[in-house]
Amino acid sequence: MSTATLSRWSRFRESFLWYSFKRDKIAIVSFVVFVLIVAAGVFAPLLAPADPYDLTQINIMNSELPPMWLDGGDPQFPLGTDAQGRDLLSTILYGTRVSLLIGFGAVLLQSLLGILFGLLAGYLGGRVDALLMRVADVQLSFSTLMVAIIVGAVFKASFGNLMFGEIAIYMLILIIGVAEWPQIARTVRASVLAEKKKEYVDAAKVMGFRTNRIMFRHILPNTLSPIFVIGTVQIANAIISEAALSFLGLGMPETQPSLGSLIKSGFDYIQSGSWWITLIPGLVLVVLVLVINLLGDWLRDVMNPRLYKG
Amino acid sequence: MALLEVKNLDVRFAVRGGDLKAIRGISFSLDKGERLGLVGESGAGKSVAAFSILNLIARPGYIAGGEILFEGRNLAAMSERELRKIRGDRIAMIFQDPMMTLNPVLTVGTQMVEALKAHRRISTANARKIALERLKQVQIPSPEKRLDQYPHELSGGMRQRVIIAIALLLDPEIIIADEPTTALDVTIQAEIMALLLELCEQHNVALMLITHDLGVVSQVSQRMLVMYAGRVIEQGPTKEIINDAQHPYTQGLINALPQMGEPGRRLFQIPGSMPSLNRIPTGCPFNPRCQFANDHCREVMPEYVRSGNVDVACHEVAALIEKEKQLQEEQP
Repeated sequence: MSTATLSRWSRFRESFLWYSFKRDKIAIVSFVVFVLIVAAGVFAPLLAPADPYDLTQINIMNSELPPMWLDGGDPQFPLGTDAQGRDLLSTILYGTRVSLLIGFGAVLLQSLLGILFGLLAGYLGGRVDALLMRVADVQLSFSTLMVAIIVGAVFKASFGNLMFGEIAIYMLILIIGVAEWPQIARTVRASVLAEKKKEYVDAAKVMGFRTNRIMFRHILPNTLSPIFVIGTVQIANAIISEAALSFLGLGMPETQPSLGSLIKSGFDYIQSGSWWITLIPGLVLVVLVLVINLLGDWLRDVMNPRLYKG
Repeated sequence: MALLEVKNLDVRFAVRGGDLKAIRGISFSLDKGERLGLVGESGAGKSVAAFSILNLIARPGYIAGGEILFEGRNLAAMSERELRKIRGDRIAMIFQDPMMTLNPVLTVGTQMVEALKAHRRISTANARKIALERLKQVQIPSPEKRLDQYPHELSGGMRQRVIIAIALLLDPEIIIADEPTTALDVTIQAEIMALLLELCEQHNVALMLITHDLGVVSQVSQRMLVMYAGRVIEQGPTKEIINDAQHPYTQGLINALPQMGEPGRRLFQIPGSMPSLNRIPTGCPFNPRCQFANDHCREVMPEYVRSGNVDVACHEVAALIEKEKQLQEEQP
């Protein structure tokens, strides 16, 4: 087994992916920043000086303290505090964690739905195709945010604020995931239509493989590169969607803030001079989305079959 | 009983404005271990015939009539489930372009193991052993290494060897090879053909070779079919047809080949081209291109007549045979 993993590693070292990565400074920087942000989010409980979810650690007397390099700053709170007196650094770390979780979760859900429906529509064709793609069209004709706002509002009303707070993260994953699946489904379908005409699919049929097997084992891996590219960009989109929903008050509650709800909570105080509550999480969000998009661009260039498969 | 018997097979494509008749009533049989050549120009229906044997004609195509009896069972009327057991296992197929036939994202070993596991209850380790065994049989250099390689790491010739190895993987009764060497270099072509023949003989596999290369057919096959516009126009022992072709079309094909020992001869060309499926002429489909065509040819589809051991569908040949008969009767 160790020889197999070793050869896989050396294969990766020789791959075009690694080769072009080494030569692309933007990709390297983006990747490093992305990994840092993800690591900060994942290890937030270890890195954060305080636990923003623990109400006993919060002292309202500490509210709206500026970052420590400004007058009136307290070294105990390096990036200052928010309106409730929570350490902003810790809250941002936990918020990043929530935002990333929603971003990845939503894209995972989108991909599952999108790949399944895209494969079925593309491979089976005919009525299945017509039905699934019309459903996708209908869904695409609504804006994601609008659907999310309606669904979110309905859930919030029916579950009540407290209950909604507990399940908010799953709800957001569900809403954003379901709202965006047609993007992936369409891409998959287009690739499947191109792939299924190829001779290896005929060969697989001639070998007596089942339809499921041909779809998932033979065609799907050949359509993965566009899915990777779209998936990457969709993570950024999902994070933005979540931030927008949170900003509108339909996302994460302020007790477990995401980057979006942090920005929102600070927005109320921006007039009174506490700009850092909004600006710093805003910067983190912008940087996070930017590096994901840059990575997506790089992946798109690398995985474009016309550029390297020829 | 023949291993495979195709009777009056009719394949059509449903398109706007009626059906296109891609194959019109072809019949032939294949015995165990026999080698059958199927020749014809592009568009004659060779590949459609091959696919319909496995009942794999994709929509809008369908089998409109006739029987495909494999070991006495009719493949044309079989359920998809039963067909899957036969495809790949009992009847294997080799395609034209080895660059395209292997899945680019799976290793050679994975594809072979998969094929075995689809038809046999077998552990991955054992399947790999069999795969390696087959790779050795197709004389691929360093077979152990190939199992973990991807198709793009192999040359065209090596890929076609892998494809032959996959075709032989489950010890099929029949291999249908659809122009297996067309996409290869000429030198590799001969090697691959020789290998395919040798393996078919060794394993007693019947080979149905589809090609437009008369040279290959004459070397390889015992019997041959000549197809034109979806019909078999001549069929019989290869030697007889090559040495003394009856049908004007077959004669044209043979005359179109350069011959050793006749330098400077202008190559014959059959005038015109194969009619497209929606414009097949009435009567004998070959009549617009035939130098012997008369009004009768333009109106009536010729039936098969027997000349020696060869079945021919041609009014001209029929008339000649009739004449000979009369001559023989007059001079007892």
